[in-house]
Amino acid sequence: MRIVVCVKEVLDPDAVNNYALAGRLEIGEDGKSLTQTTIPRLMNGFDEQALEAALRLRDAGAECRIGAVSAGPDSTTILKHAAALGVDEIASLPMEEPSPDYHVVAALLAAYVRSSGDADLVLCGRQASDDDQGVVPALICEALGMPLVTNARAIELAPASDEPTLRITRVTPDGDEVVEVSCPAVVTVSNELGEPRYPTAAKKMAARRMKPEIITAEGLSLSPEALQPRVAAQRQFVPTVSGDCEFLPGETPAALAEALIARLRQESVIS
Amino acid sequence: METKPVVVCMWNLGQGGLPVGTEEALTLGRKVASATGARLHLLVLGPLPEECLETAGRFGADDVDQIEDAALEGFAPDAYVDALAGYCQQESPALILFSQAADTRLVAPRLAGRVGAGVLMNGVDISVGESGGLQATASAYGGDTQMVYELSGAASYVVALSANALLPEPAEGGPTQPGCRSIQVDLSGVNERIRVIEQARTEGPRLEDADIIVSGGRGLGGPENYKLIEQLAEALGGLAGASRPIVDEGWVDSSQQVGLTGKITRPALYLAAGISGASQHMAGCSAAKTIVAINKDPDAAIFRYASYGLVGDCLEILPELIRAARQ
Repeated sequence: MRIVVCVKEVLDPDAVNNYALAGRLEIGEDGKSLTQTTIPRLMNGFDEQALEAALRLRDAGAECRIGAVSAGPDSTTILKHAAALGVDEIASLPMEEPSPDYHVVAALLAAYVRSSGDADLVLCGRQASDDDQGVVPALICEALGMPLVTNARAIELAPASDEPTLRITRVTPDGDEVVEVSCPAVVTVSNELGEPRYPTAAKKMAARRMKPEIITAEGLSLSPEALQPRVAAQRQFVPTVSGDCEFLPGETPAALAEALIARLRQESVIS
Repeated sequence: METKPVVVCMWNLGQGGLPVGTEEALTLGRKVASATGARLHLLVLGPLPEECLETAGRFGADDVDQIEDAALEGFAPDAYVDALAGYCQQESPALILFSQAADTRLVAPRLAGRVGAGVLMNGVDISVGESGGLQATASAYGGDTQMVYELSGAASYVVALSANALLPEPAEGGPTQPGCRSIQVDLSGVNERIRVIEQARTEGPRLEDADIIVSGGRGLGGPENYKLIEQLAEALGGLAGASRPIVDEGWVDSSQQVGLTGKITRPALYLAAGISGASQHMAGCSAAKTIVAINKDPDAAIFRYASYGLVGDCLEILPELIRAARQ
């Protein structure tokens, strides 16, 4: 089976959080880009887990070829990381716009999957930790006519099926649900999958020789309509959080605790 | 030419009453409909819940549209997308609003892909921009930033409204009297491609419904100390929650994770011990009526959100809180 994992480079969300809380997050001249050069760029954490899900399928004995693809301004670093983890092929869809329209991204990724020989499984992180949108996997599944399963925490090949079938444990608000879906399918992965692996030194060396295949929009023969943005980012800003915290007095932990419980009872928040 | 309608969409899973967030979506829908001179529809997939017409009227809906079919029983994303696509073909809405919940991403962006609409999740507001078109604001970076998007280039848009993005406001000038319309969509060709082998079963009370939540984070120091959170939650008659870092490290099951990618809660009391206040976490609890924070660092971000703060070591304060709560 062929597995394609979509990966995205993002700014480190923890670093963005720290800068935002300190009031030092810089918005660029275009009014929408985050321009701090000191914020690291890394692979979206959920996409790392999508990669991990693919590698675990292979570890479990599934005969598969794994490709990683990234659409973005500069995907070299994260694609090399994917190569170091053990994927078989890497592909880059260069884009100039740092935050392109999701519909354009999905159209490009779907066209790549089709033109590169289709896929039995397309794996994506549940959302990117920059815009938190998480719409690209669903747009890909509609473009390719595949079913979509979200928030997987385990993916395995279902035993004894006539056609390739996935058995997926997915996270719902009411607990875990187990579903089956015939391939091909699009599946998103969440942090419940568990810790992604680290690359070994040997694999890192081998990955240095892997070069991403460069895919262009022209080469995918997409219609101009498919490349037309529909949701254009205009402006990004840090919303103000109005704090009015009352620090309760007390010299000892016991005094602090008694002050809080008394206050909450006084306010009828607790009985 | 009449302005294309604004539609608020919901599905009825027999929860009794309208799903959480529908009133907020109707509030935003009414705002956009008023600004653009459009009609506001509430679209129900499945049977009409009790008080549906009354609530729709209270929030200013002009029509309640219903699509009922056996294929829509239970959570059926393929049938939902097909039904909604059929509805869009008939009604040509300008804007389709969803209240964002855990499984909205199985429906809303697929609908957009199916009918060629634009799509945006995490919506917090929609307004008419300077050019006369719609502008939507959505949260990003877990809530650290917000992004304003121009909704142009497509004939219709699907927007999911973040939980807790705004407060529901009944229509000024009193309730409307919405008509009830039955919409016919052919769902005979629907083939639900996801087969549920084991259903999720709710065991005990749900964090989303809890009135009191006590949550722990990395400041607890280790998994052995999480029992203090459970004991305090029990003493207060509430439930125990957790921030994502300790879930990822395996201290607590992910079903107890509060945050953007966990549970979205709105308790009367949220007590956070050893939690820094990262935006991703606060997105899941900022709608609490009262937030209490315990942290060693008086400058910790969580105190920005809190009504009451205790500065100190949570490992020393929690046992005392348990003792005081039990008296």
